[in-house]
Amino acid sequence: MMDPFSVGVHDLTIEYSSGGYAVRPIDGFDLDLASGELVLLLGASGCGKTTLLSALAGILRPQSGSITVGATDVTALRGPALTEYRRGTVGVVFQSFNLVPSLSALENVAMPLLLAGVSRRVARERASALIDRVELTERAGHKPSELSGGQQQRVAIARALVHDPPLVLADEPTAHLDYIQVEGVLRLLRELATPGRVVVVATHDERLLPLADRVVELSPRVRSHPREPEMCELDAGGVLFRQGDPGELVYVVDEGEIELVRHRVDGTDERVTTVGPSGYFGELAPLFGLPRSATARATRPTTVTGSTVADFRARRHGAYPVTDLMAGAAD
Amino acid sequence: MWLLGWRDLQWRRRRFLIAVVATALVFAMTLLMTGITASIHAENHHIVRRFDADAWVVASGTSGPFTASTLIPVTDATRVAAAPGVRRADPIIVFRSTVGTRKLKDVNVLGVRFGGVGSPKVGAGRLPRRAGEVLADTALGLRPGAHVAVTGHDLRVVGTAGGVTFYFGTPTIVMSVEDAQRIIFGGQPLATAVVTRGVPAPAPSGLRAVSNDTAISDLERPMKNSDQTLALIDGLLWLVAAGIIGSIIYLSALERARDFAVLKATGASTPALLTGLTFQAVLLALGSAVVAVLLALVLAPIFPFTVAIPGSAFAELVVVAVVVGLVASLAGLRRAVGADPALAFGAA
Repeated sequence: MMDPFSVGVHDLTIEYSSGGYAVRPIDGFDLDLASGELVLLLGASGCGKTTLLSALAGILRPQSGSITVGATDVTALRGPALTEYRRGTVGVVFQSFNLVPSLSALENVAMPLLLAGVSRRVARERASALIDRVELTERAGHKPSELSGGQQQRVAIARALVHDPPLVLADEPTAHLDYIQVEGVLRLLRELATPGRVVVVATHDERLLPLADRVVELSPRVRSHPREPEMCELDAGGVLFRQGDPGELVYVVDEGEIELVRHRVDGTDERVTTVGPSGYFGELAPLFGLPRSATARATRPTTVTGSTVADFRARRHGAYPVTDLMAGAAD
Repeated sequence: MWLLGWRDLQWRRRRFLIAVVATALVFAMTLLMTGITASIHAENHHIVRRFDADAWVVASGTSGPFTASTLIPVTDATRVAAAPGVRRADPIIVFRSTVGTRKLKDVNVLGVRFGGVGSPKVGAGRLPRRAGEVLADTALGLRPGAHVAVTGHDLRVVGTAGGVTFYFGTPTIVMSVEDAQRIIFGGQPLATAVVTRGVPAPAPSGLRAVSNDTAISDLERPMKNSDQTLALIDGLLWLVAAGIIGSIIYLSALERARDFAVLKATGASTPALLTGLTFQAVLLALGSAVVAVLLALVLAPIFPFTVAIPGSAFAELVVVAVVVGLVASLAGLRRAVGADPALAFGAA
């Protein structure tokens, strides 16, 4: 029997346009979450954490794949059904609190209920209970501008819970908080993960690791293990790596020519640069743990040698400064 | 959701207050112009009614009694009086002149037979009995016993009457037909029209009888261009008001794009969000209309002639203001509808 509170993400691919280029932060992603779990989506900026949360919240439509919450296929929802899903099934805690500045803390919590047509009395009672729960009873009548960052985040959590949703999403909930404020927010998030509810927290803050039942790394850490340089022979048109792939090695062209191309949203490719014999490329991805920002392919029969960043530095003039590396070809 | 709109109004109260005052000034101007237009028409009806005539007889081919350029012999009044259907007929002379010596003031000069058709009612003093005596409209500020010079002729005011004005509040000096002939026609026995009790059927040859309505149209025709100009300015003012309301609501929607995105992301339907914005537009328009009514009532007495704003204009203002407010807020509403909930996930 299907767990009514389980969340399933299968073969999910999300692509969007960034400055005319196609960016695919989520590509063939799978994830299964069980009721009562608190899951951390961990990764650097731009790795797709917020994109995945947006898709789970029913705000961003994926190119392919499916998201199911209980028996609901979220990716198939449209119009009022989607609004109802956002209202009843998901509660979102946004990165920058996103409270309505003109409303008091209590009204911010009550507003989703009021907009859903719930009576003012019922909405107020429910909001009061939640404000009590996040220990802001004394501050209920204050505007967001009169609250500290931690207090605003607690109001945002209360607002996310106002419809008692089975799925709670938190986007970088500690991003704007100092360590004193973080404590209360973490405790609250941990308490939310109870049977009947799944909590997904997107963060790059490793302080949150002990909080999680499970950690999902969205940008797998490329660890530069000491290894021998790898020689690779490519035919004309042969692809060395693709845009979006994780990157581990810096490549030097021994013979032939490599062209670096970026895929545009309209389906065309844009040549960024070409690298000839003794030139190097692909240094930024291993240096900063980023995905490859372009595809590398041979324009004619080509031989390249790939090395770790440390090895590359050692082989080229003893120690290659990072600034020089960054001044090189596009990754 | 009206609470959302109301709280935002409180949050941005200074801006909304400025918008209310600016819109109210524009609305007040439309009210005053409506009052001016209505007063002109009321004045025309009023002056024609004061003659208490059933018909006006003018030379054939002449447009009407007030703008007549063809004069008739004063003896035509006797011919008209003898026409079937006429119980009494008296000649009148309508002319424009100036009073004063150094500081000239426009006046209407009206020559009538006192006690006959068209004879005015006296407010203070008495009706003229002798040559050189006149009745003056109170707007001239003359009291019985005062002297006034019309085209160099010294005349003595023996009585005053209120509301004897036409041509945009121009006051009238009423005198005997004979005095008017002396001052205006150099003593020739002429008149501009004959007013009658009873309607001549038919009018004597060379003359034509026109109704009171035609007499009113004759008065209003020269003002047609002014009327149209006022209507045009009125329309432009409504556009200005719509512009103020529209820009305020649009700015509000623009600044609250993230709020709308967040509320959409938390399951608020678009119609629910629009209610708040619509509420603001309606409140802004209604608030402006109320302030405009007060402003118009304060400003109306400052004008140099009576500006009587009809009661219906106030009701119309409220209705039109709400419609204008709603139409003007469409751009803002469109902005709110288009708010992408994905925006809520962006960092501040």
